[in-house]
Amino acid sequence: MRKTITAKQAAFLLPLFLLLAVFALYPIISSAIYSLFDYRTNDQQVAGLYTTGNFNAPLFSEDCGYINWFLEDDITLLSEADQTELRAAMEQVDALAKQYVTIGEVTKISAAEAKQITSQVAEIQATIQSVYERNDGVTFYNGWDKLNTIFREMDSCMINSNFTGLAAYGKLLSDTRFFHSLRSTAIFTVISVTFELIFGMALALIMNKAIKGIGGVRTTALIPWAIPTAVSALMWSYMYDGSSGIIAKIFTDIGLIASPELMLLSAGGAMTAAILADVWKTTPYMALLLLAGLQIIDKVLYESAKIDGAGPAKTFFKITLPLLKPSLLVALLFRTLDAFRVYDLIAVLTGGAQGTETLSIYAYKLMIAQNNYGYGSVVVLTMALCVGVIAFLFVKVLGAEIVKDD
Amino acid sequence: MKKILGISLMLMMVFALLTGCATAPAPAAPAATEAPAATEAPTATEQMPAERTVIKFAAQADSTPATQAVVDAYNASQELYTVEWIDMTNDSGAMREQILTSMQAGSSDYDVLSMDVVWAGEFAAAGYIAPIDQLMQADGLKISQFNAGSMTAGNYSAKQYTLPFFPDLGLLYFRKDIVSTEDAAKLVSGDYTYADLQAMAEKYMGQGGTTDGIVFQAKLYEGLVCNLTEYTAGWTDVEGGLVALKAMVDSPASPVDILNYSEGETHNSFIKGASVFARNWPYQWGMIASDGTISQDVVDVAPLPGGSTVGGWLLGINKNSVNQEGAWDFMKFVATQGQKIMSVQGGYLPGYNEMLTDADVIAANAMLSMPGFQNALASTISRPVSAHYSETSDAIMNAAHAYLSGEMELTAAVDAITAALAN
Repeated sequence: MRKTITAKQAAFLLPLFLLLAVFALYPIISSAIYSLFDYRTNDQQVAGLYTTGNFNAPLFSEDCGYINWFLEDDITLLSEADQTELRAAMEQVDALAKQYVTIGEVTKISAAEAKQITSQVAEIQATIQSVYERNDGVTFYNGWDKLNTIFREMDSCMINSNFTGLAAYGKLLSDTRFFHSLRSTAIFTVISVTFELIFGMALALIMNKAIKGIGGVRTTALIPWAIPTAVSALMWSYMYDGSSGIIAKIFTDIGLIASPELMLLSAGGAMTAAILADVWKTTPYMALLLLAGLQIIDKVLYESAKIDGAGPAKTFFKITLPLLKPSLLVALLFRTLDAFRVYDLIAVLTGGAQGTETLSIYAYKLMIAQNNYGYGSVVVLTMALCVGVIAFLFVKVLGAEIVKDD
Repeated sequence: MKKILGISLMLMMVFALLTGCATAPAPAAPAATEAPAATEAPTATEQMPAERTVIKFAAQADSTPATQAVVDAYNASQELYTVEWIDMTNDSGAMREQILTSMQAGSSDYDVLSMDVVWAGEFAAAGYIAPIDQLMQADGLKISQFNAGSMTAGNYSAKQYTLPFFPDLGLLYFRKDIVSTEDAAKLVSGDYTYADLQAMAEKYMGQGGTTDGIVFQAKLYEGLVCNLTEYTAGWTDVEGGLVALKAMVDSPASPVDILNYSEGETHNSFIKGASVFARNWPYQWGMIASDGTISQDVVDVAPLPGGSTVGGWLLGINKNSVNQEGAWDFMKFVATQGQKIMSVQGGYLPGYNEMLTDADVIAANAMLSMPGFQNALASTISRPVSAHYSETSDAIMNAAHAYLSGEMELTAAVDAITAALAN
């Protein structure tokens, strides 16, 4: 069974593997690395992947400048002796600032050096604080509180390792918001794919009939799928609108919802709205995949069935369905994975409100709106894992064949 | 063998699809649903000499001609720089994400930024905007020359990062045809408490065709945080503020569904003459004239007891900008002389105090000469300045709303809010 690879085959395979490495493996590996760090770009202490001690030199020298700047005003209100003491402290601050002002970025720092800087700063801080405490009665321009705030910020210039290992995955287990979004993603996926399968099958059976004008029917049926999702979602959001939407009005009139604005503003209404729009949009896609499957079924089989006296129902269940199974499973697999990753439709319709927040939306909010790349990557990887499990179930348990051997 | 290869290929593609679009922090491709990318709108009105440096100013679209007029005035006022206004999306959440994405890549796409007051803390903490204390001192500008609440909103870790672009503030609107002259004088002076206001609302409710005494914003959203900032006098008395707000919510003078009121419900009620008192932003004054069934003649404004929450927008300099000097020069212009143009041509409140007494500015804004408004402007307070404002605000509004609707005990709500403020 073992096959040898010829040099010619290798010449084709090598670029293939390179492409795979760049486009498939690299994103996963970098996500996996991010997920091991507490990596948030909107907090200077964790705005990078730090495994060793680092030093925020630019912020440090800026803070040094501020200390002297604040002191310059306040010092004029003090006695000669206190002034001398503060001047000495200011010189020390200046010396520190000069030492690091040339480093324009966050740099690695040894533990010894970090300790030295910290103790130097602490010493200066103690000196300055004692002068301020001695002059409790003076109304300063800036005062100790402001200086202390700057000193606190200086502490944050010492950056420790933000490697957290698998801690973020542990956090995921107690993250109720994650499980809520997992649940709404699952609900959305199961219900919408079920309806798409039923309607898609019906549509495919109709389109498979050799009647006059079927070409026009097939083309027309594809229109919903051809419209970009963001555009069709906007269109649906107008129809669902509480004050002027036609669907919201019809649903209210037939008693499905109590008042039109509940269509998008209640939990059940918003999920129904999203599923309805998704079913409308992707039924033609499902129908197209199934139609391809229907067309390869040998017509002779139907003729024999007819001769044997089988009715339409029996023909469908005994011939069409079994022979359609490979195409059916592939179509279902594609649609399930697609629906599981839904983002654009829901982002436009509700933005994730009213319990319609899916995993993609949650991951987007974590990464883009909150700049939390570490935890966001955990969610994304977990989602990838779910997708992998779904694909595995379809392929191994149900036997979907994506690639035909020989 | 081939089958396994096929399956693994398929799995890889699935993973790649999934993670490819979310691996950050490479400039994330905006999702298809995002508002259309900002289009550059070069605003040069004349042929500039080539040596002029281009300063890029990121600000939201302006429905008035004011922003454009300020940019044009600046370009005409000096020889060194040409300012280009980069028109950002009008969805402020999307604008924040767009700016953050650009900033975290360390880009110099924008030199001067316009920011919602609540973003300044986050941008400052992340090191995206530059402190301006020394620049202000060098040019002889003092913090006290600008709107107090706006300046506090842009002060993080004892450093000043921003100047006001245009401030906005909470006001108490009242019907002077219903409220007695005595009470009106008391309100305008600002010398009253929320208990006094509640008593008045209960007393005057139903008179002059009104159905409600007072309307304000208590829905579960940012507006509730603004209202609570006022009730707690700038977060100095969280417990007292919560109790006073709860009393107002439970009072028969406020509508039964007050916990669902945002600005829209508030102005609808007030401009249709259905309520005696309303807490809202300055825009409601214009709405009374354009859409109201009552006239501006029967309405007056007053400061709020604990101070007026500041909203509006601020200006800051991108720390990575290669044109720091030009950015500061333009920002300084907009925040000082430019405020007159903003006010006269756009009807915005001036954030530069000197402009409050400018004859042209007063002539263009009837509100500015009202004593109640001036008192409100003198007592502005700001929402918490935090590096994680959205989380802080989220925690505050959830605890407050739960307490107001009776689902949470007072002590638990106070604890939750205090913890959020300490964040």
